[in-house]
Amino acid sequence: MATDVSSPGWRWRGLGPAIPALALLALFFVIPVVSLLLRSVLEPQFGLQNYAELFATSTYARVFYNTFVVASLVTAVSLLLGYPVAWLLAIMPQRWANLVLAVILVSMWTNLLARTYAWMVLLQRTGVINTTLMKLGLISEPLALVKNLTGVTIGMTYIMLPFIILPLYASIRALDPTTLQAAALCGAGRWQAFRRVLLPLSAPGAAAGGLMVFVMSLGYFVTPALLGGTSHMMLAEMIAQLVQSLLNWGLGSAAAFLLLSVTLALYAVQIRFFGGMR
Amino acid sequence: MTLKSILTGTFLAAGMAVAASAQDMVFTSWGGTTQDAQAASWAAPFTEKTGVAVRQDGPTDYGKLKAMVESGNVDWDVVDVEYDFAIAAAKMGLLEPIDFGVVDRAAIDPRFATDHAVGSFYYSFVIGYNKDALPAEPASWADVFDTAKFPGKRSFYKWSAPGVLEAALLADGVAADALYPLDLDRAFAKLDTIKSDIIWWGGGAESQQLLASGEAPIGSFWNGRIFAIQQEGGNVGVSWNQNLTAADVLVVPKGAKNKDAAMKFLAEATGATGQAKLAAATGYAPINVNSKAEMDPAVVAELPDAHVDSQINLDMAYWAEHRDEIAKRWYDWQAK
Amino acid sequence: MLLSYNRLGGLGLALWAITILVCLFLLVPIIFIAALSFGSSQWLVFPPPAWTLRWYRDLAADPRWLDAALTSAKVGVLSAALAVALGLMASFALVRGRFPGRNLLKALFLTPMVLPVIVFAVAIYALFLRIGLNGTLVGFVLAHTVLAFPFAVIPIVNSLEGFDKSIEDAAVLCGASPLRAKLKITLPAIRIGLFSAAIFAFLISWDEVVVAIFMASPDLQTLPVRIWGALRQDLTPVIAAASTILVAFTLLVMAAAALLRRRISK
Repeated sequence: MATDVSSPGWRWRGLGPAIPALALLALFFVIPVVSLLLRSVLEPQFGLQNYAELFATSTYARVFYNTFVVASLVTAVSLLLGYPVAWLLAIMPQRWANLVLAVILVSMWTNLLARTYAWMVLLQRTGVINTTLMKLGLISEPLALVKNLTGVTIGMTYIMLPFIILPLYASIRALDPTTLQAAALCGAGRWQAFRRVLLPLSAPGAAAGGLMVFVMSLGYFVTPALLGGTSHMMLAEMIAQLVQSLLNWGLGSAAAFLLLSVTLALYAVQIRFFGGMR
Repeated sequence: MTLKSILTGTFLAAGMAVAASAQDMVFTSWGGTTQDAQAASWAAPFTEKTGVAVRQDGPTDYGKLKAMVESGNVDWDVVDVEYDFAIAAAKMGLLEPIDFGVVDRAAIDPRFATDHAVGSFYYSFVIGYNKDALPAEPASWADVFDTAKFPGKRSFYKWSAPGVLEAALLADGVAADALYPLDLDRAFAKLDTIKSDIIWWGGGAESQQLLASGEAPIGSFWNGRIFAIQQEGGNVGVSWNQNLTAADVLVVPKGAKNKDAAMKFLAEATGATGQAKLAAATGYAPINVNSKAEMDPAVVAELPDAHVDSQINLDMAYWAEHRDEIAKRWYDWQAK
Repeated sequence: MLLSYNRLGGLGLALWAITILVCLFLLVPIIFIAALSFGSSQWLVFPPPAWTLRWYRDLAADPRWLDAALTSAKVGVLSAALAVALGLMASFALVRGRFPGRNLLKALFLTPMVLPVIVFAVAIYALFLRIGLNGTLVGFVLAHTVLAFPFAVIPIVNSLEGFDKSIEDAAVLCGASPLRAKLKITLPAIRIGLFSAAIFAFLISWDEVVVAIFMASPDLQTLPVRIWGALRQDLTPVIAAASTILVAFTLLVMAAAALLRRRISK
């Protein structure tokens, strides 16, 4: 074990190189986050009053509910749209796949604000989508596509799709086509082969991607703030509002703690069942 | 040269370097065209006169302001805030008192000066409408709330702040002198009648975009923003009837590093010339009573000041008192 | 059959239809924004009454946009460098170390990726105010390094796991010092992982808004902060012009990265 000679002790063998990173995260991540959370029980005075207020107020309950609704909706839509794309991507000829991948990467790497801004303009009542639909005679009144649940869902699905497609693509690509040939030989029809073989085999990839998207959606700030309406406020926006406009750091920290706990719990599930690193 | 004199010289030089680096200050406002105008009308002449450079920061963020004061590490020297926030913040001990030995209080419209804040500019919430999209000209807040007479979406300021509740009460027939204390139940009930037709605007640019594009052809807007649309050639009109005045004020956060420079800056900003220049650039009204004499009469005619008889002053002291409680109810109602 | 492209039949058609729709969905806003940036309407009316380069001229005339872009680049490069350096060392510990709590450490290293950014932003802001790091380049870089760190660790760990350690051991047996063996053998072998890590970390910082809004000071405004301010205050088509240039820049970086990657992997 030549490389491990320099390690400090047998028990902590190999930990050494991680220490700088550990120090960075401890100083500039763990400490600030923990001290923020402490404010939730220290302000305005020591006690659980902030949590009591959070749970007793119907507005806050609704914000929690909205947050989960939006995150679930975005995850579901992203999976429904992303699965077929990832599937085709995994088996199509390489040069086509490269093209589709390029499209996905370009959209993913385009500035987040620029993309959200585009949707703001596209989706408004006098925007291109509404005017086109009206010209085609499909609708007579402009649809309300933005500043509501629809707007947030479209905007966030747009951002999250790559995070579903890319891992799913990798996991379907890794499947062995012969398993499906075997299914066919055993007389399975297309639907059966899909339901009994392909779907279960790709489920871990889909679940991992879906959970990731769900967790990311829970804490999203920018897109809901720009595309959402007042009646579907999400948690991150509420935290920002409590801290920035209402100056209520105690309550804001309490809300942050709840968001953090849910997120970390789901993250633990992800690590436990799908491994954290893919 | 002895060692001592060298050392003294070094310390002196070091001291001067500190003094030199202290010769700039930070002005924070809301960004956009208004802050550009503030920089041009106030900061540029101020720097020319005093040699103190003014760095621009923004947008104003009350959370940041509070955090700075609490940490004792205050980066901002002068901040443009909403009037009701300034009164509340003064009560919370977040602000330095204004040095009226430097700032001339007598020249400031008494509506817009307190011990801890002086006016930045004052503006009116006016009824704006898109002439291409509406059949007639709205004449009162009652018209804005009348979806039969004026169909389409209407737009109001999104955040809990003076203006919208008052408009609702006026539309519901409350007399201007009987607005305060606000009858919140009645105001929200009135707002409920048009709730599904409201598109909220969160910032000036958004309001302009909504009105100019016809997205929301009628609503309540800052007069300066409508002025700007008209300058750009947009076909929008304004009704000054029942215009509701509010103000932005300038404050100095407690513990500001360049307090002296900040006070001198306030003197420049609230002076007759500074106010006149800003008003000409933005369409908001000067808070200095001597400014109008320095301005083009054609511009003066477009200011809220020209519509005093139809004007209603929003009660900032009332708002400062009830800010939190109204905010809670406001966001609660909005989220329903 | 379900996994062989040529035998999909009608199903293939359906998959293609969805894929094309999704690609359009992903591309339309980007193309639209480019079109918008040449439109003459101040109020984002589309299709615009006329075409113009006015917004690009406005953009060029305002030095604050260029300053912001340079600040973004500076913060991005420094954060990426720091994140990759720390991530590389940490990855050795994660892959090769055998110490208690290794999985916990792994989880901790990835937490900045899942923690809601708003929570981190508020927290680090409060800390930096107290220790005087707010509005400084150092503070900005540290905050962004924390956020970029997981995105640097993941590709490095993945490529390190795929690397056969016995090759490095062989070099050590032949007399190379462990450090030299790592530098000469292991690093070149995992270069694609390092490269991806650097690109990802840079992009995380380059695109980050929420923390940046809190960190920004008059002298230190990143591009996303400027765009955010403009979105909230001006909403001028200058934003569309800036965005279009950003997209073009992104395409260039992607093309360069693809070329470089191809060369590295040869």
